[in-house]
Amino acid sequence: MHGPSGMVQTALKPQDFTGLQARRQALDTYWQQGISGTVLLRMHSDFIDHHLAGSFKKAAVNEDDFALVALGGYGRQELYPFSDIDIMLLYDTSRKDELSSLVDAILYPLWDTGLEVGHAVRTPEECIADAADDFFFRVAMLDARLITGSETLFARLQEIYKSIYIEGKRQEFLHDMLDQRQKRETQYGRHTYLLEPHIKESCGGFRDIQSMLWTAQVVFGLKDLASLQEAGLISQEERVRFEQAQNYLVRIRNRLHYVSGRKNDQLFFEHQEEMAQAFGFTNQKDMLAVEHFMREVYGHMQTVSVTVDLFFEHVEEVLGSEESPKDVKTLEPGIELRHNRVHLVNTELISSKPRLFMRLFRQSSRTGKPLHFRTRKAITANLHLVDDKLRLSRRNAKLFLSLLGGPESFRVMEEMLDTGFLTAYIPELAKVESLAQHDIYHVFTVDRHLVQTIAELERLQEEEPNIYAVVSAPPILFLAALLHDVGKGFGHGHAERGADLARHIGARLGLEDDEIAVVDFLIRDHLFLSHTAQRRDLEDEELIMRSARKVKTPERLAMLYLLTIADARATGPTVWNDWKAALLLELYLKIALLLDRKDISEKEQVRGAELGAQWIREKVSELVPENITINFDLFSDDYLLSFPPEVIVEHITHARRLEKQEVLFSHEQRQESWSLLVMTRDRPGLLARIFGVLALHNLNVLAAKIFTWADGTAVDTIEVSSTIQENYEGQNWQAMQKELELAIKQRLGLEHRLGRKLAPLRNKPQPVQPRLATRVNIDNHVSEQYSVIEVFSADRIGLLYDITKTLSYFGINIHRARIGSKADQIVDVFYVLDGDGNKIENPDFKKELHEGLLYAVINQ
Amino acid sequence: MKKIEAIIKPFKLDDVKEALNGIGIKGMTISEVKGYGRQKGHKEIYRGAEYIVDFIPKAKLEIIVDSAQVDKVIDTIIQAAKTGKIGDGKIFVLPVEEVIRVRTGEKGEEAI
Repeated sequence: MHGPSGMVQTALKPQDFTGLQARRQALDTYWQQGISGTVLLRMHSDFIDHHLAGSFKKAAVNEDDFALVALGGYGRQELYPFSDIDIMLLYDTSRKDELSSLVDAILYPLWDTGLEVGHAVRTPEECIADAADDFFFRVAMLDARLITGSETLFARLQEIYKSIYIEGKRQEFLHDMLDQRQKRETQYGRHTYLLEPHIKESCGGFRDIQSMLWTAQVVFGLKDLASLQEAGLISQEERVRFEQAQNYLVRIRNRLHYVSGRKNDQLFFEHQEEMAQAFGFTNQKDMLAVEHFMREVYGHMQTVSVTVDLFFEHVEEVLGSEESPKDVKTLEPGIELRHNRVHLVNTELISSKPRLFMRLFRQSSRTGKPLHFRTRKAITANLHLVDDKLRLSRRNAKLFLSLLGGPESFRVMEEMLDTGFLTAYIPELAKVESLAQHDIYHVFTVDRHLVQTIAELERLQEEEPNIYAVVSAPPILFLAALLHDVGKGFGHGHAERGADLARHIGARLGLEDDEIAVVDFLIRDHLFLSHTAQRRDLEDEELIMRSARKVKTPERLAMLYLLTIADARATGPTVWNDWKAALLLELYLKIALLLDRKDISEKEQVRGAELGAQWIREKVSELVPENITINFDLFSDDYLLSFPPEVIVEHITHARRLEKQEVLFSHEQRQESWSLLVMTRDRPGLLARIFGVLALHNLNVLAAKIFTWADGTAVDTIEVSSTIQENYEGQNWQAMQKELELAIKQRLGLEHRLGRKLAPLRNKPQPVQPRLATRVNIDNHVSEQYSVIEVFSADRIGLLYDITKTLSYFGINIHRARIGSKADQIVDVFYVLDGDGNKIENPDFKKELHEGLLYAVINQ
Repeated sequence: MKKIEAIIKPFKLDDVKEALNGIGIKGMTISEVKGYGRQKGHKEIYRGAEYIVDFIPKAKLEIIVDSAQVDKVIDTIIQAAKTGKIGDGKIFVLPVEEVIRVRTGEKGEEAI
């Protein structure tokens, strides 16, 4: 240990260390100088020692009959900035009269400094009596340290204490310790990775560290970690990791006291960012400083927690009853069941037979018994043996998959995670290990959340037996649950990235193509149901139809539904409630009923949409005048599902006039908008020309449905409103029709006309409005046939013209489009193919198009 | 001053919020609420199992505004929240005696 003097050059001396303010400044100064961790604690403790010894001397009593004793953390010389200072004045009964003046002399100056003091005055005999029914005092006595005064008196106390409370009391002590640990778990939660970890009381916190050290001292007479290692209770590697963790936590607690300005040992959400900064973390592209910092905190607390768990299991075994040979049952060569624990018989075995890793977990799952702590240690110590050969082994993969959704999946997966085996076996998970998410929703780190999702699935198995029964291959669902957030830690788009990673993992595990497709779907769309349920109109039948088409089968729907609930529940207590449950259930049932309709479910591949289209075909056939023959091959299902049958009949009737007329245009007044229909032969740039004319005539596009029949007839329905508050009658429809025809025939200079029209607007100061994020998204996954381009932007006159003109410039054909405006924001979706009829896959072209569109949207 | 309470369909919440922001309403209280009116809860039978939803999830907005703004706010909410179908919701207008900002102690319109 280092004393304050000689260690670091500093202007501050112990005697300056009075007054709360000065003390805080001193601590901050030390922090700035880079002094932290145990050194700072020791310095603080020495300051107080110095101060108290001074007061004691000044009172000038007979030192032989009094002793000033430090207890608890102060006794261990671990004094955090705002820790209580626990002292005890020990006295000999004969000197009772002088007591009060001495107490005053010691305590008053201490109180004046504003320190929190816990004090007691006792004779050694009183001490022993008090310790009888106060567990915490008994434990505090373990750390008792003489500050100043009579050594004889102190030694007497120590001796009686040991003979009464320690010798022969190892069982009771262990029992009390485990009891307290249990209570802490109940109060502060089992996990180290809760949103706001308590550095002292949480699992993996200081109490855990201390309880291990106390127990080592009482049960084995081992003073510190070094002697624990010597005795073979922990390995060299475990000790190093443990000490690193301990030092890190010490530094955190130090700083936390300073940041909070009081005795606070909980890493509250609002302190986390400041702490992260103090620890030198900076924001990175894909991870916030605070997330980086919390990841370290969780990692270290996890180390402590695991080490302490293993230690106590060891102690329990040592103090437990002797085992009789008949308790031992061989489960398979190399693996035994002893005292309700699964054992690896010989640690050496694992290096020659790495498949034993998975066999152990398999036996643990099958028997329902946890792995013995020594076996868990052996697994952790041999993770380097988990190599590609093992990862690619089909036999091994089969075992692994049987664990998912098998008995006690959650416990087994948690053991796999805690031993490090899970990450070794699926290295893609390394990125999310101890990964914190700095928001108030995610209570767990990502890896814990994944395992927790498994736990929630197990619960749902009981709670929703009917829905669970639809799932024919639970391992696929559980695998998707285990991997659904594997794409986190790289910034946005975690579901897509996760799905891509999961495809690789699935292939490695030897899944069939259709199984991989299901895992891909479940992960890629794991937010689809909850987003749809909360943000979309569930009465919109078209939406339900589209959702059904996306989900495809009742089984995939059941899996996605269960995963959605499990995911939400495993996220945190605020995320899931019966309000959200009701919305999700409504959506689930609507899709399920559609997918399950008798008439549809006859085929394996259910196609609700096809059926809807079939119904419309029948309707249309009934409604169409007899002299018209209809070729239904012209119409895609999507088109048929987008209009009521009467409207489709209108389109078909209109189309006959196109033989004589180049452009068909009609308009109609609706309740809140005007509806336009433009039909003509499709040609490159058609949409841009239509939108250009609309802008020229002060019409704002509210929504549009753009379709092209198979014979090349474009059918564009556009909902518009007037930007200048013109009424329907006042609008010059005739002029517009004329210009529309000219523009479509390329006889109208839209560019210069629009340029002139919009020029005065550009010079006008823009009304102040919140800037809406402009975003362009080119996606090749959503649709099998088309590339889908989404444009998010604030609305303005001529915007659609600029977008479609740009697409036309790049030779992009728009096959379908949906124009939707949400208040002032435009979300336009275009289903497109390039000039050669292919998806836009080339990365360079994709990038160029993306840039071009962004420019068109912004730079006007 | 008036308090406007609007009960709307959950998926309309974003639209209504944006529309209100558009007319300068910057603050509101939003909660997830449950209830039923004309649009009753319902029972579904799916594969032999009965699923009962005995309430309808709705979103509630509470906005305190100057009396002069009430009509505009109501119009804006109706426009943004209306689908024309049953269950679009209700708007209530209540008198407000006083508004006090906790931080500064400001009262009345200043505190809105």
